[in-house]
Amino acid sequence: MSAAMNTHPTVLVAEDEPLMRERLLELLAQSWPEARVALVAENGNDAWDGFLEHEPDAVFLDIRMPGLSGLEVAERIGTMAHVVFVTAYDQYAVDAFDAGAVDYLLKPVQPDRLDKAVARLRDKLGERPAAAGADMGDLLRHLKAALPGVRQERTRWIKASVGRQVRLIDVDEVLFFQSDTRYTRIVLRDYEALIRTPLKDLISGLDPDRFWQIHRATVVNVNAVAAAERLDAERMQVLIKGCSEKLPVSRTFVHLFRE
Amino acid sequence: MLRRLVQWHREWEDEVHGVLVDPGHAAVAQSGMRRRLAAKLAALTPIERRQLREFSDAHRGPRGYWLLAKLLMLFSAGGVVWHLFVPAMGWAFAIGVANAVGITLLVGTLDAWFNYRKIVRDWRKFLRQMVGFWGVMVLVDAAFKVAVKGVPARVVFAALPSHLGWVLAVALLIWVPQLAVSLLRYRQYQVLAEQLQREAENERLARELAESQLRLLRAQIEPHFLFNTLGAVQQLAQHGDPRAATLTGDLIDFLRSSMRDIRSEQVGLAAEFGLVESYLKVMQVRLGTRLRFELRLPPALEQVRIPSMIVLTLVENAIKHGIEPALRGGGIDVSAEALGSVVRIRVQDGGVGMSILSGAGEGGTGLDNVRHRLRLTYGDGAGLALRDGDPGLIADVTIPRQQP
Repeated sequence: MSAAMNTHPTVLVAEDEPLMRERLLELLAQSWPEARVALVAENGNDAWDGFLEHEPDAVFLDIRMPGLSGLEVAERIGTMAHVVFVTAYDQYAVDAFDAGAVDYLLKPVQPDRLDKAVARLRDKLGERPAAAGADMGDLLRHLKAALPGVRQERTRWIKASVGRQVRLIDVDEVLFFQSDTRYTRIVLRDYEALIRTPLKDLISGLDPDRFWQIHRATVVNVNAVAAAERLDAERMQVLIKGCSEKLPVSRTFVHLFRE
Repeated sequence: MLRRLVQWHREWEDEVHGVLVDPGHAAVAQSGMRRRLAAKLAALTPIERRQLREFSDAHRGPRGYWLLAKLLMLFSAGGVVWHLFVPAMGWAFAIGVANAVGITLLVGTLDAWFNYRKIVRDWRKFLRQMVGFWGVMVLVDAAFKVAVKGVPARVVFAALPSHLGWVLAVALLIWVPQLAVSLLRYRQYQVLAEQLQREAENERLARELAESQLRLLRAQIEPHFLFNTLGAVQQLAQHGDPRAATLTGDLIDFLRSSMRDIRSEQVGLAAEFGLVESYLKVMQVRLGTRLRFELRLPPALEQVRIPSMIVLTLVENAIKHGIEPALRGGGIDVSAEALGSVVRIRVQDGGVGMSILSGAGEGGTGLDNVRHRLRLTYGDGAGLALRDGDPGLIADVTIPRQQP
């Protein structure tokens, strides 16, 4: 979080409706002129991928979005950034936010309320990041139960061309997924396949308890992990069972393998 | 002694009345005969119990006994008149027989009046009992005459056929009117029962309809929809974008039609498609390029009536569970088509498809509501079918072309 002390904090905005997105960006430019918008995402998958790429200081997340919901993105972000939810949900949800450390904005966003949120964010950016989301896990679980329609359906099968065949791949048999620009490489025990869907769009269908993202470009099946090796103070790599490839773990995800 | 008897009688009366009001009280009746009677009363249908209760309300206690006394005096008076016309008959005998006949008629009438269901159902048994009883009485009388009075058997046997004939006539004379009264009462009972059932059914339907409309209203004007739309209007207006006026107009159309249609049970397809169009126009401004839509309603079907807001519910489902969760959005096609004796209304979306619906509590309720209202209106003559459109979902509503 080097940027936290920076005079130009970076911000990520995720909102699926174009006019609401436009509005939030315009109001944000007025309320927080010194902030730099690193990325504007139109769905949860892009938001998460963009977060990993830009590592912004603050994130404005719509709750109901295609792909990963705002709640799921926030869950993945954890304490890595300050999250402000943007939602049209009613008081019940708002009460839940009040109990936690994160802020919320009701749609349509009004300038004076955004000013307050920005003021709160300015204060928080000076603090240590861990303070922001101490109760996040509980809060998110509570919210997920309270809000209908933001659950994510899991993918069970993936269609992939291998040579001249179209194979139906059982997700559980995948050792790891690796992003290859606009394609995704799927590696299994006996063969591998290349599919046209980008990794960021596959992630929303994968169970986060069974498939760990260890890098912006890599998701591994926990059952296939043989070991994780420390390379130096910050870097690690993962060894996969029955496979010679070594997969790098990015700094963001090193905590997954801490004892 | 007398006081205790009166007290006992009053308690018993209250007990019977209690069972007539609520059959559950039969369980606390005193054991023995009283318990058995209470159980019998509790086994009656509600209508029968109500009739008995009304009778007992009108005649129980001293009033009932006074009425009985008056009837007995009436019978006795009849006996006196009989004696005057046929002096060969002794006073006592005439009055005794008159009372016996009167009481028999009274009991028979009361029996027919309240026990009609059994009498009509088991009429053969009642006839057999009646004829059997009187036949046995004649035979006993004949045996008595031969054995005790020493009347020659020959004489008694000679008179037997005519006695039996008389007895049969008397039995029929009692049984036929009793059956007639019972039949009449039974018919009344059936009419009443049907009427009660119809009323209960109507009440249930009205309640269900009101409930489903209320649910519809709540689902319709959900804050999520309103606030997001108003936010979009605000943003457009801030920049003087002419779409602000168009979007406001569509929102007004949508709200006005919703309010109108929520109150009416059925609307024409043209009105329903109008409502759907204003909704989709609003959503298109909000979702931008992620939503495309097309509506097709043949002019011949414009006047076909349909339970209000059913198509809208399906379109909202398609938006909420098909288009909005889809990364790249998709299209929605809404069409109506006449297929033989039915009209099929199809809502097809190019969104994420069936898998999303399986676990969606919200969507389930909307679809349940559609199914429920179709059943309320058409019975089994209409239906809602969902299938995978690959991509997206196809929802087909079929209703009979001929309206009920």
